[in-house]
Amino acid sequence: MTERYLILEDGSAYLGKAFGSLSTTTGEIVVNSTMNGYQEIISNQIYHNQIIVFTQSSIGNTGLDQNAYESIMPTAKGVVVKEYENLATDQFKRISLDRYLKLHRIPGIYDVDTRQIVHHLREKGNMKASIVDVADEHAFDQLHATVLTNQQVSQVATPKPYANPGDGDNVVVVDFGLKSGILRELSKRDCNITVVPWNSTSEMILDLDPDGVVLSTGPGAPTSLPDDVLEMIRNVQEAVPMLAIGLGHELFAMANDAQIVALESMHYGSNHPIREIITNEVFYAGQEQGYAIDSKSINHDKLYITHADLINGTVQGLRHRDYPAFSVQFSPDGAPGPKDAVGVFDDFVEIMARRRDSSETRF
Amino acid sequence: MKQDFKKILIIGSGSSNIGNENEYDAACFETIAAIRKTGAKIVYIDNNPFSVSAEEVQAANVYSLEVNFANVVSVIEKEHPDAVMPTIGGLKAIQIAWQLYESEVLEEQQISLLGIGPQELTKIIDNQKLRDSLTEIGEKTIASVIIANEEEAMDFVREVGFPVIVKPISSSHDTSRFICNNPDELDDAIEASLKRTYINRCSIEQSIVGYKEIEMVGVRDSLGNKMLVSGLEDMDPIGIHSGDSIIFAPTQTLLNKEYQALRTSTFSIMDSLGIKGTCHIQFALNSQTSSYFVTKVSPFFTRNTNLAAKSTGYPISYISTFLEMGYSLTEIKLPSKYSKYTAYMEPTSDHVLVKVPIWPFEDIPDIDQHLNTVMKAVGSTIGVGRTVEEAILKALHSSQLSPRDILPSTSKVDEDELINQLIHPLASRILILMEALRRGFSIDELSELTKIDKFYFYKLNQLLRGQKYVADHPRTLKAVDVAHKYGFGDGMLAEMWNLSINDVRAIGSESANQVTFKMVEPSAGELNDSTDTFYSSYEMENESESYSTDDKVALVIGRGGNQLGPNTAADYYTAKILLTLKKTGYRTIIMNTNPNAISLSPQLSDKKYIEPIQLGNILNIIDLEHPNVVFLPGNRHFLSTELKKFTDLNIVLLPPDQKIAKYNDNQATNAIDVFIDGTTVTPITTIEFSNAKDSNNKQLKYLYNLSEPMLHWETDTEILVDTVTQIINTDYWQGLVQIMFNRQVDGYEFVGIRPVTITETAFLTKTTGVDWVATLVKKYLGKLDKTQIQEQLTSFNHKRRSTMTSVFPFSQLQSNQHDGTVDQEAGAYLTFKNFEEQKKA
Repeated sequence: MTERYLILEDGSAYLGKAFGSLSTTTGEIVVNSTMNGYQEIISNQIYHNQIIVFTQSSIGNTGLDQNAYESIMPTAKGVVVKEYENLATDQFKRISLDRYLKLHRIPGIYDVDTRQIVHHLREKGNMKASIVDVADEHAFDQLHATVLTNQQVSQVATPKPYANPGDGDNVVVVDFGLKSGILRELSKRDCNITVVPWNSTSEMILDLDPDGVVLSTGPGAPTSLPDDVLEMIRNVQEAVPMLAIGLGHELFAMANDAQIVALESMHYGSNHPIREIITNEVFYAGQEQGYAIDSKSINHDKLYITHADLINGTVQGLRHRDYPAFSVQFSPDGAPGPKDAVGVFDDFVEIMARRRDSSETRF
Repeated sequence: MKQDFKKILIIGSGSSNIGNENEYDAACFETIAAIRKTGAKIVYIDNNPFSVSAEEVQAANVYSLEVNFANVVSVIEKEHPDAVMPTIGGLKAIQIAWQLYESEVLEEQQISLLGIGPQELTKIIDNQKLRDSLTEIGEKTIASVIIANEEEAMDFVREVGFPVIVKPISSSHDTSRFICNNPDELDDAIEASLKRTYINRCSIEQSIVGYKEIEMVGVRDSLGNKMLVSGLEDMDPIGIHSGDSIIFAPTQTLLNKEYQALRTSTFSIMDSLGIKGTCHIQFALNSQTSSYFVTKVSPFFTRNTNLAAKSTGYPISYISTFLEMGYSLTEIKLPSKYSKYTAYMEPTSDHVLVKVPIWPFEDIPDIDQHLNTVMKAVGSTIGVGRTVEEAILKALHSSQLSPRDILPSTSKVDEDELINQLIHPLASRILILMEALRRGFSIDELSELTKIDKFYFYKLNQLLRGQKYVADHPRTLKAVDVAHKYGFGDGMLAEMWNLSINDVRAIGSESANQVTFKMVEPSAGELNDSTDTFYSSYEMENESESYSTDDKVALVIGRGGNQLGPNTAADYYTAKILLTLKKTGYRTIIMNTNPNAISLSPQLSDKKYIEPIQLGNILNIIDLEHPNVVFLPGNRHFLSTELKKFTDLNIVLLPPDQKIAKYNDNQATNAIDVFIDGTTVTPITTIEFSNAKDSNNKQLKYLYNLSEPMLHWETDTEILVDTVTQIINTDYWQGLVQIMFNRQVDGYEFVGIRPVTITETAFLTKTTGVDWVATLVKKYLGKLDKTQIQEQLTSFNHKRRSTMTSVFPFSQLQSNQHDGTVDQEAGAYLTFKNFEEQKKA
């Protein structure tokens, strides 16, 4: 086994063993504490630019399942774990985790004290990290000098529109780094989906005659996207029902005057209780969150808070007062993570149906 | 909506037995602490002499009666509780709760049932109703019908196909089941089953043998909020009882979609039953199709609920008690050592826990040793590690499979026998799996034969590779590192390399990877707040800080996995030692591997180590903690001799090693128990030994009933007291001592002397009202208040006779044995007879 190092921006280094690609990598280091679904996590575009530390002690245990990818081209920068297993369970027994990571040029490092890393990051805050062969001065210099792109969305989102046909409602999904879970849930509800690029204008979107629009999840800070996106959202929300998730939720809030803050402690996991304010009900869902809405900045004439995280207090859901538009910070599709809140998609379909019914009565 | 209860009746679980170790008592201990916080008064019914909980409740509120419907009703009539808690006494308590509802006692007395509503209880008692209700909410269960003959059985088989399982229907707790793969086997099974029933019916069901067995433990509050505490995965497929299976927590081989489907199903079942508290649901998962069946719903505390708590560090019994009383998850205040978020933050782990069962095959040789759908294990050990390999090996070398710190060789098993055992597993199954890998069986082949997921064979292969490396590179630093990584103890290395454990430790001391202790806590490092449970791993960061030198620190070394014999009593003993040490101002540390041990209860000690009870592991903990005193409860001859070689340790063996006993086993009929402190000999009580009524075995080891006082106590006590004071040598005998006699027509003949046994110490505490373990501990610490003891032991004026009767697991295990020895005991129960009432009668 080749020995390699995980080095952090603050000068700390962790000796481990290599798996996956042997390339050198740099990214923002994040901790994911979900206990299942390593495949969904690694293939989620939200981890573009990021090195993922898994707290689950072993990954790779179930091989890779063709139905469980969250994107076709994963863009995570690295994987850090205590232990990995190299099973291949596909019908040709070809794709193990190690091979998958090699195919997509993602380096991995294992046999490191991930629990120590988690504690370290808790204490020192968010930072960059590299997986390297030698933890020397040069490596640290390189790490410090690396400027991570803030153009993540344009790098991972689809450049061209495409169709995902169905027999039901016309739904336009604006792709900011879409995870397949969203499409899967809409398809289950028979939606006729068109996925459009992140920089589509409201005219382009509304010309597709949607019954509803979904703003997808995606990587990075919402503030690094141009204001045109916010303009698009403002126009669309007035016209058709809208569901915004993750990055989409942050953009939806910004489009309605709210401010965004970077979280001191990023949260990637599914263990936080989320409260639905109106019912007082508590549930759990996957959360991949580096940013949050500054709740003080919310314009209560336009938006109201529907969900809150009971651990870090962040806003987890919003609804527009005037338009059939709502948003959630968490991932209701449960890929990976609990399916407790999968009903969000039903709500969306129902809103589209109600609106159609009421417009039919107009004639 | 939390309710104010003034008085709660807890239904205990009765004597321990197969499938009922100390876990219920441990849960009860936490429950009592939780109820106390609410201000409600507790009434408790249980006749288990080894219950620690019973001693936590005010004596006046403990009803030491057999746990049955009639007795519960009589307690209700006397005490008028406003609530009954049936959720920590096993299935029997649930059945009693249902009877209370059916007989309208609950309604008449306006008593609330905690945990589950009476209507829903019916579904737990009646399988068909449960099946109907699950079908209603879209959950699949296994098709099953009641049949009276072979034709009806074949009709059913034509519908669902072979294999099927046939079970006799009887009112007794006959748990035999027959798996049938063809019409011949079906005929035999039906014939055998019909013989076992009074009503000439048996049930036949679709067999899901070979599916994965997955268990989910969740909690739900009165507002309908639900949280999953843990998933558990049985390594062995359906077909081997979960209690006999090696279990992993968290689940290891589930796809996210499979895991989430089971989670969602757990939640909808809890909703449909209106659970308040905890619920344990078992599933059969077909990993080819990702489809599943619900196989068992237990809306009460179970062995595996407990395992979920141990693996996550989530205090399930404590929280569940509040939930049952109507608190919501976010309303519960936990003791200060937990984070304020713990109650409602869904547990997530960064370690692996493995449970390995312990079987009684050595103690009861005539039982069928094959593992099947009838549970045979009497206990289990757990290993916790950062990797699966580490956890497996730690669990194994805590278990009976390697009691002397080394994996036994299975190389003598011939090829046919090996294949036979792969298909028809015995207790040593895991060793056979490893042997098959060693002999070059392919993983695909093995997985096909055994229906065990390939993942586990990958892991076992890694272990074998590690073992080979260690064997091939003896006495090297690299090999020590490899061994530690895979969970080998220093004792194992010492055996393999023929070195002393000190030599192994000396090699290891050069390594960059020293032992570290990691916390078992439910947030995977997210929260800083700590729990107090640790396991070892050779990594970088150590999280267990030793106490300051101002603190007095006591390490108590638990007994490990439960076996037949005085083990539940020993655990009682261990728990009492911890409680006493805490009261006398010590920081207490417990080391144990038995998940069901009450001594591992969260509130009993300051610190817990889930570590193999092996010399190397003990020394690692001692090196860190520098305890002022080390307690070794129970007869631990080997360990105490080994530990005493490290002379700077202050080791206390309690009770003293039985090896010092001298008596004639054939003749003891009576005894007098005394407490000796210095030169003062204080008589406690007289004892009557008796064997089972129709037994020919008259030796003391076949002791069946132990009663105090003895039969002729009114006339003969004085004679015995006089004899004892003459013959006892207080230079040699200290503490609780038993002097035995043989009663003859013309008087009593002295037959021997021994330290009072662990079981009897528990018995004496329950009957004399003196906390004997506490007394002994205080004596050893020099903190005994002598006058208090003497005041408590006022006179030999008895108002009642107390009897402790042994319980043996023979019928459950389908053994033909009749008389049991003390080493075959699974538990015991207490009965009391009032002399006044007797006279009247």
